[in-house]
Amino acid sequence: MSVSSDIDFSPADVLIIGAGASGATAAWNLAETKMRIVCLEQGGWTNPSNYPTTGRDWESRAQSDFSINPNRRQQPGDYPVNDDDSPIKIANFNGVGGGTVLYAGHYPRFHPSDFKVKSLDGVADDWPIDYGDLEPFYAENDRITGVSGLAGDPAYPAKQSLMPPLPMGKSGQKLAEGFNQLGWHWWPSDSAIATQPYNGRDQCINLGACIYGCAQGAKASTDITYWPEAVRAGVELRTWCRVKEINVGDDGLASGVTYFDEDGVEQFQPAHVVIMACNGVGTPRILLNSVSEQFPDGLANSSGLVGKNLMLHPYASIQGVFEEPLDGYRGPHDSIWSQEFYETGEERDFIRGFTYETTRGRGLVATALTGVHSGRIPWGAGHHDAYRKLHNRIAGMVAICEDLPEEHNSVTLDPSIKDAHGIPAPKMTYSISDNSQKMLDFAVARATETLRAAGATDVIIESPLASGGWHLMGTARMGKDPQKSVVNEWGRSHDVKNLFIVDGSIFVTSAGVNPTRTIQTLALYITDQIKKRLTHLFD
Amino acid sequence: MSNTIATDSLFSADERDALKILVGMIIPASAVHNVPGADDELIFADILDSAKANEAQIRKCVEHAVSSGLGDGLPLEQVLPELEGHPVMAPLVSLVMQCYYRDDRVMVSLEVEPRAPFPKGFEVPQGDWSMLDAVQKRGKIWRDV
Repeated sequence: MSVSSDIDFSPADVLIIGAGASGATAAWNLAETKMRIVCLEQGGWTNPSNYPTTGRDWESRAQSDFSINPNRRQQPGDYPVNDDDSPIKIANFNGVGGGTVLYAGHYPRFHPSDFKVKSLDGVADDWPIDYGDLEPFYAENDRITGVSGLAGDPAYPAKQSLMPPLPMGKSGQKLAEGFNQLGWHWWPSDSAIATQPYNGRDQCINLGACIYGCAQGAKASTDITYWPEAVRAGVELRTWCRVKEINVGDDGLASGVTYFDEDGVEQFQPAHVVIMACNGVGTPRILLNSVSEQFPDGLANSSGLVGKNLMLHPYASIQGVFEEPLDGYRGPHDSIWSQEFYETGEERDFIRGFTYETTRGRGLVATALTGVHSGRIPWGAGHHDAYRKLHNRIAGMVAICEDLPEEHNSVTLDPSIKDAHGIPAPKMTYSISDNSQKMLDFAVARATETLRAAGATDVIIESPLASGGWHLMGTARMGKDPQKSVVNEWGRSHDVKNLFIVDGSIFVTSAGVNPTRTIQTLALYITDQIKKRLTHLFD
Repeated sequence: MSNTIATDSLFSADERDALKILVGMIIPASAVHNVPGADDELIFADILDSAKANEAQIRKCVEHAVSSGLGDGLPLEQVLPELEGHPVMAPLVSLVMQCYYRDDRVMVSLEVEPRAPFPKGFEVPQGDWSMLDAVQKRGKIWRDV
């Protein structure tokens, strides 16, 4: 059935591309202006009653229709990503809520030092804004999202906590014992997971598979936080609409976007302002596909930096095997974190640092596969005894390493792979830097010490974590110099004055923490700047 | 039940026979732990049914196993080292683990309630938050700018 006849194709005041973490936040914040706001999302709404944890086959679905890897998932909203030239593979979700549907809910802020990397450590660049600029927007985003945690973390400036922390459980306590024995920092993780009823969402019941969608609705994905409020406030959210390109007029401004609707019909939606919220791979993909006489190298790309400086956060997974039963897969992934090695240490052979985020145990299938693939569980008669040595006895951590920008790490257009609509697919070209490799090695060694101190009898290491390309950053960086950045200090393209970017692609550096809280905070900050400048937005 | 599924299976009778031997070789039954093997009728039916989503790769596993001597009358102990850990077998190993470890009998033997996580959820202890005292005593560690 065609739906296009019901669509209003008159010019939108603001057109947002992407309904994920940043698009939802931007739409919500602009809704109060009463402008006509349209958001185009290439996927659809997910129904929480269809999330994997509602069925016995939840671990199988985590490897198929709810895989974090779109190349494996291959759902209608997905597009292929060529990640053959990267040791870290793409992870995303395409649909209303975007990556927040499948994220763990780890919700750390950046630190003040993360915005001043060049000044402090002589590498990369400083951001054109700082922690103080974003602090009120962090607080506002926390209020909408609902953040659990514990105030007083000595690794951060003071910040409030809206809900009590998630339970440590046996696993978290075991690892905390290890950190305490070594005298290292740890603290309950800030999490975008409700530990008590919050704004109509129920509290976490420890389903234990947050990264495959929260059937309880305790995890703050934007389809259940920002979007309901934005839609009620009048924002039009059009699903199953895949943007092909941003069009430009003779005046050099964006005139709207060309997209394929639910029926695969090409449409044009005119707009006075276009906001991109498609993540660090999707945004450069659309910009590079938006070629015109005025912009032969892609839109907003006079600097040549669209798609460059891709940062992914190399992860290491370090898991201990303990003699006593722990939590198994029960409980949210989030528990406690350590930022003992977050800031640059002069005695270390790398710059910058990382966060440890502890992990609980694994599901029954994941335990079996971990054991079999690592040679700890054999085929045959020895299978059952070996399995029982791992069952409910694995707990550990991941290290999230700060990735510094390097131009050769990039997103380009694949010359041959196209999506279902014939739009060229993105290609990731990425290698782990020497600095990041040293950081990974250090993180593995220190985590191993922690696990041994906590009583682990065996340690299972995967470094880098191949599946962990969740954090897509840096490919349309923010800055004051148009020759060294794609957008200015309030998110507007240097080249196209009615084009804004609010997703992780504008990150100047990556910090050593999960980016979603800062992505959403930046979206609030940028849209706040738009609201303040409405009368002279294109000057 | 198994006959119905076997009839619907995309695998030939020979392939099914080989597959059954193979999965039983990966996870045999255990009287000690009171659990069936992966070649148990119910579990094998689940494997056959679930294999439909990944038929080509599973068939390749079976072909590789047969070419390695499975079904030639060789003792399984002689065939096993040829197959265990071989990359081509990875899809089958994944499938077997998925089906085996969601079987009620297997879950019960591991003292896991055989049910979906939602809507009941699970209890997780808070832990001892007084352990943070040592961390707080160290004071601020974030870097001034």
